[in-house]
Amino acid sequence: MDSWLYYFPQLLSSGITIGAIYALVGLGFVTISRASQIINFAQGEFVMLGGVITFFLLNGVKLPYPFAALIAILIVILIGFMMHVLVIYPLRKASILILMMATLGASIFLSSTNGLIFGTLPKTLPPFSGEHPFRIGEIPILPQNLWVLLSTFILLIFLYLLSHRTLLGKAMEASSTDPLGADLLGISRNLMVFLAFGVSAGVGAIAGILITPLFFTNYSSGTLLGLKGFIAAVLGGWGKNSGAILGGFVLGIVESLSLVFIPSGYKDAVAFVILLLILSFRPKGILGSPYMDSRRW
Amino acid sequence: MVFLTSILTLILMAWASPAYVAEKTYKIGVNLEFTGPWAEVTKTMRNAMVLEVERINKMGGLDGNPLELIFEDNGFDLGRAAANMTKFTKDKEVIAVVGPFEDNLQATTRAIAEREKITNIIICPSNPMVRALKQKWAFNIAQSDIIVSQKLVDLSLTRKYKKVLVFPAAIPLAKSLAEYYKRFGEEKGIEVIISNETHKPTDIDMTPQLIKLKPLLEKEKVDAFYACTAGPPGPIVCKNLRTLGVKIPILGTHAFGFGFIIALGGEAMEGVEFGAAKPVVFDQLDENDPVKSINIDFDKLMKERFGVGIDQLAGYGHDTIGLIYDALKRSQGKFTRAAFRDALENTKGLKSCHGIYNYSPNDHDGLSKKDMVFVRIEGGKFKRIKIPEFE
Repeated sequence: MDSWLYYFPQLLSSGITIGAIYALVGLGFVTISRASQIINFAQGEFVMLGGVITFFLLNGVKLPYPFAALIAILIVILIGFMMHVLVIYPLRKASILILMMATLGASIFLSSTNGLIFGTLPKTLPPFSGEHPFRIGEIPILPQNLWVLLSTFILLIFLYLLSHRTLLGKAMEASSTDPLGADLLGISRNLMVFLAFGVSAGVGAIAGILITPLFFTNYSSGTLLGLKGFIAAVLGGWGKNSGAILGGFVLGIVESLSLVFIPSGYKDAVAFVILLLILSFRPKGILGSPYMDSRRW
Repeated sequence: MVFLTSILTLILMAWASPAYVAEKTYKIGVNLEFTGPWAEVTKTMRNAMVLEVERINKMGGLDGNPLELIFEDNGFDLGRAAANMTKFTKDKEVIAVVGPFEDNLQATTRAIAEREKITNIIICPSNPMVRALKQKWAFNIAQSDIIVSQKLVDLSLTRKYKKVLVFPAAIPLAKSLAEYYKRFGEEKGIEVIISNETHKPTDIDMTPQLIKLKPLLEKEKVDAFYACTAGPPGPIVCKNLRTLGVKIPILGTHAFGFGFIIALGGEAMEGVEFGAAKPVVFDQLDENDPVKSINIDFDKLMKERFGVGIDQLAGYGHDTIGLIYDALKRSQGKFTRAAFRDALENTKGLKSCHGIYNYSPNDHDGLSKKDMVFVRIEGGKFKRIKIPEFE
């Protein structure tokens, strides 16, 4: 095991990048659940759509890169709104379980339609700045990795300000934690869920654009990312933005470091083993979930 | 009543037995992944087959009887692939089934083909476990794992690699490619290390595995890195390896010969070398190459009709129809599945896009090492490299 110390920093840096991505996906889950308690299984598809639509605008329509990215984000936000109007709103009187199933259906619809329109081969985008890694000590780091980290940080601050410092954010949260109270105060719950879908689609699209230069995006890559993001959100504490971020990084780093001890074939299983452990020993997650009564555990 | 029904069934069965197959059309079942991750790739093959069948029918088909393709989508799903295969075997007019594409799906359809006695033409190097079964009814039209590995050993010898590290994907095809490469390489004095680390076709980041391999590369002074994989993991491995600062040459498999691989990998793909099928670089073949003109003509046809030129898969589509047509011509008069199979097995020297096909009772892999060329990725394009002693 003399090379253990040699691997360690490199695996850590690779884990941090992939952790940031899980965190971004997890944030999208949390945003919707904070407003409506719905678990939106189409979250991974928003990520995929962000990458694929930017690819299309960049290479098909030949828009400049920043412009293409911006329009793609707006399109995905629009898709998020449409998903609420067409899928969630008509079912607003149904139970949460049925709504979750509906989002699962929407996710299959989005990925298959995407495969039909844009093709099924994986796609990639040019990195934002430079393709050549620079080194910190022995560890090579791609500029794109830093972009991912920076954007995760900015999005976290944005979502924190939105939910804790604005009336809108508080109204969103109120409509989830106390629907009756929110109704009495004149908060339109449907509007809040509508907006939450927009925000979470936007976060997803940004994540998609950030990661496509690093990892290729194809019509089906949203599923696994969505699942990992969901695990990250549960791991950190379901319903907390900071929980999703922490969970994402923990998951990414543990997954990457696990390679020191176990063969790489089991890499994907690590996430699920962690989820099982968390669910049996600390179901409210690392930071604790506002939806779970902590006295019971 | 039961007695009557069974008698009737028996009569019906006798009447519908292969010996009485209608002589109007020759149906060919196509069981491919038209949806799912390979949808775009199989579409090319479908286009090529449609084009060839139309051309043959325009020339009068076979003694005035047209060929007909029946497409069934297996959706990248084992159950559906098996169901499609069974459906084709029940249709007495279907003379042969083409596909599927994916390794584990075809293992199943081959078994069904064996049981139901129908020819199954598959487009993927066979995996050795299946080859050991000596299946009578399965024919492979792609470059087999054996010749791909032999070709790569030739390439490694020319480049004077003494030690090569293989990083295989966790799929049967990649495993057998790795093992054949090791076997043939060690016969020629190349030291081949197959890494314990593998990767899955769905992995999006190979950096952790490669970080673990990097000290090994340095300690053992490995000359070349063999990315033994197919599909998107190819460019991912190359990208991650270059990001980690590993500068040794990368060898690839024949599955690197698709345009989208270069588009994905970008700069990291520069200098990657592999043994490829002829349609990948058909315009750079020697003037006296027996199949150059076939490729050029077919490329023109494809461009006229579908707007895109040929690639490996279009070549397989062309060759499949060519082989079936040729075998049917030789089984004249007898239109049974068995007669067709025997005729196909006796195919000798059929020139088509990928090369010259020769089948025999002991060899159901039609192509030989001569039907591959060495290719290097240069300037974002496939460039043929000529190595006179191994052409």
